[in-house]
Amino acid sequence: MDHFPTNWGRPRNDAYDAYNTYPLHHRPSAAPGHDKFADAVQRTQQPIVTGTSVLAIQYKDGIMMAADNLASYGSLARFKSIQRLHAVGTNTVLGASGDMSDFQYIQTLLDELVTDEFTHQDAHSLGPAEVHEYLARVMYSRRSKFDPLWNALLVGGFKDGKRFLAYVDLLGVTYSAPSLATGYGAHIAIPLLREVVDGRQDTLTEEDARKLLHDCMRVLFYRDARSLDKYQLAKVTESGVEISDSIKIETAWNFAEGIRGYGAQTQ
Amino acid sequence: MSIMQMNGGSVIAMVGKDCVAIASDLRLGNQSLGISSKFEKIFPMTDRVYVGLPGLATDVTTLHQQFRYRLNMYTIKEEREIEPETFAHLVSSTLYEKRFGPYFIEPVIAGLQKTPSGDLKPYIAATDLIGCLNFAKDFVVAGTASDKLFGVAEGLWEPDLEPEDLFETIAQTLLNAVDRDAYSGWGAVVYVLTKDKVIKRELKGRMD
Amino acid sequence: MPDGSFSNPQQRQFNPYSDNGGTILAIAGADFTVIAGDTRQSEGYSIQTRYAPKVFRLTDRAVLAVNGFAADGNMFVKKVKQRLEWYRHAHAKDMPLRAIARLIQTMLYAQRFFPYYVYNILGGIEEDGSGAVYSFDPVGSYEREACRAAGAAQSLVQPFLDNQIYFKNQAAAPNQPHPAHLPLSDVLAIVIDSFTSATERHIEVGDGLEIYVVLAKGRSVQGLEGVRSIQELSTKSDGDRVFVIRRDLKKD
Repeated sequence: MDHFPTNWGRPRNDAYDAYNTYPLHHRPSAAPGHDKFADAVQRTQQPIVTGTSVLAIQYKDGIMMAADNLASYGSLARFKSIQRLHAVGTNTVLGASGDMSDFQYIQTLLDELVTDEFTHQDAHSLGPAEVHEYLARVMYSRRSKFDPLWNALLVGGFKDGKRFLAYVDLLGVTYSAPSLATGYGAHIAIPLLREVVDGRQDTLTEEDARKLLHDCMRVLFYRDARSLDKYQLAKVTESGVEISDSIKIETAWNFAEGIRGYGAQTQ
Repeated sequence: MSIMQMNGGSVIAMVGKDCVAIASDLRLGNQSLGISSKFEKIFPMTDRVYVGLPGLATDVTTLHQQFRYRLNMYTIKEEREIEPETFAHLVSSTLYEKRFGPYFIEPVIAGLQKTPSGDLKPYIAATDLIGCLNFAKDFVVAGTASDKLFGVAEGLWEPDLEPEDLFETIAQTLLNAVDRDAYSGWGAVVYVLTKDKVIKRELKGRMD
Repeated sequence: MPDGSFSNPQQRQFNPYSDNGGTILAIAGADFTVIAGDTRQSEGYSIQTRYAPKVFRLTDRAVLAVNGFAADGNMFVKKVKQRLEWYRHAHAKDMPLRAIARLIQTMLYAQRFFPYYVYNILGGIEEDGSGAVYSFDPVGSYEREACRAAGAAQSLVQPFLDNQIYFKNQAAAPNQPHPAHLPLSDVLAIVIDSFTSATERHIEVGDGLEIYVVLAKGRSVQGLEGVRSIQELSTKSDGDRVFVIRRDLKKD
């Protein structure tokens, strides 16, 4: 990108700034092919195509995770059937919010890792804890190069009879809790999740967990403008990873009828 | 550097058993340069209402005079002395009058309030610089060492302290808090208000 | 610039740091040390988790508390532990406390121009059997002290410790000088009071409290009897010993 307006190809540069003591177009910097930024390294980006919240909870038999199917381009709902939950091996699921291209890069990294591990044939396989540790190192080392992978990730799994659920983001910050959420979910869904889950991880049934996440996804759809009424649910238990087909959220908007500015305008 | 921290200074008030205490440091500075170690920030408004005015030194004087004037007007009109709670509201409304060009002071009020039965009940309050009142059952703090005062007071204070114990508690709280604050210190003064007397004590403090 | 070049102008707005709140503190006794930290991890007004440890056992006589940016903190602890393991493999013994302190200063200063945004407090037992606390700034300045608080509520806790541990502003009774070191039970009470006070007045402090106690070799467990939810972490019972006490703090 050329940041100097005088290089933007006006028909006649000398028509601009003509009365300056040292007119812009006389300056050496105005010579063609003199863009200081042209060969600069562009590393620190910003997220472009983004996914919104991911939610996850622990329950009796393992962990459950949910993320909607939308990838936004700014405020444009650009891709409406993107999958943001990714199985890693047989015991782990990864949920991503933030930049979707960075997420896809992370998927290739992990698939490569899983393949390498498999080809060793040493009776070891990567569990959720190992995947999380690996991701934390990747994310932290990228932030330390000032070239972050712009994501907030949730890693969940079940291996050797133990649940695992943890978070890692673009700064390399990690933590674990019975209920986790990224993005808007951390503000809107976490209070709802903590109320039900915290302290009851060992008794919460699959049915209750499923309903809880469904309700939270609905609240998020009502309140998060970058969300979609279509989401997928992943569960990881003793019997491995299961990622559902898309689930539709049923909504009711009749309340809007009586509110001016919401429904049809009736003075 | 913020105007609130230009001259430095801190005030604290605490409730005891049938008594209250209010205390402040004595420093006046210009940024990190100490100017005076005799700058009192606590003023008696009546025999049993005291106010502490930490903040911008010029506003300490202005507000003290403003309060004195308004208090005199109140006393003349009402033909009685003002109660601490009423005075707190007077402070609050005086400050809020200047909502968009405030005095840079966070007043602390301590006094003994007359109850309907004629007893005297401890009363303390503090406001921010635009007059948002904060009543507390235990203690209030203000000034450049306010976070330190909060920490020490929360650790040392207990309910129903007798006047001498309250004095020791507030003195220790203030002294140890201002010793960790570059903008407060250089001596301290403590007032303990009881039913029948007011005890004023000046304390030596670290001079560094 | 990380690559050392200033020739190409670059636009930057990514901030590689964050502040994850919390508070830590350590107090040294004559033949013991107490190192404590709360377990809340937050960013802004959001509580990320109610249990993220900030205090770590390094050896049977050294405990490290880290506070500041959590990602840097965890990475730093990981690297210190790795260096201590290498030392163990090379010398067949644990690194002495004063050597760990110097190692930490070197590791922090190595990152002088892209610092670990972390305040460290190292506590434990010296080779002479005395309790010791070392405190560090993010780029490695350090000193040995009897007590230190760091983190979000440092300004609330440190003046309280000055008063209760160093007896600042307290005159000693005639012929009865202040003790140089307090007994363990008193120290534990002061630590718990410090954290309940900080929890009351600071939004980033709360949820849980982990208190590590390091006892010098041969010292009795006096002061720990009757303490609830205590757990021993030492690998040998005939050397310096490490214990951890877990308590709840208010969650609001």
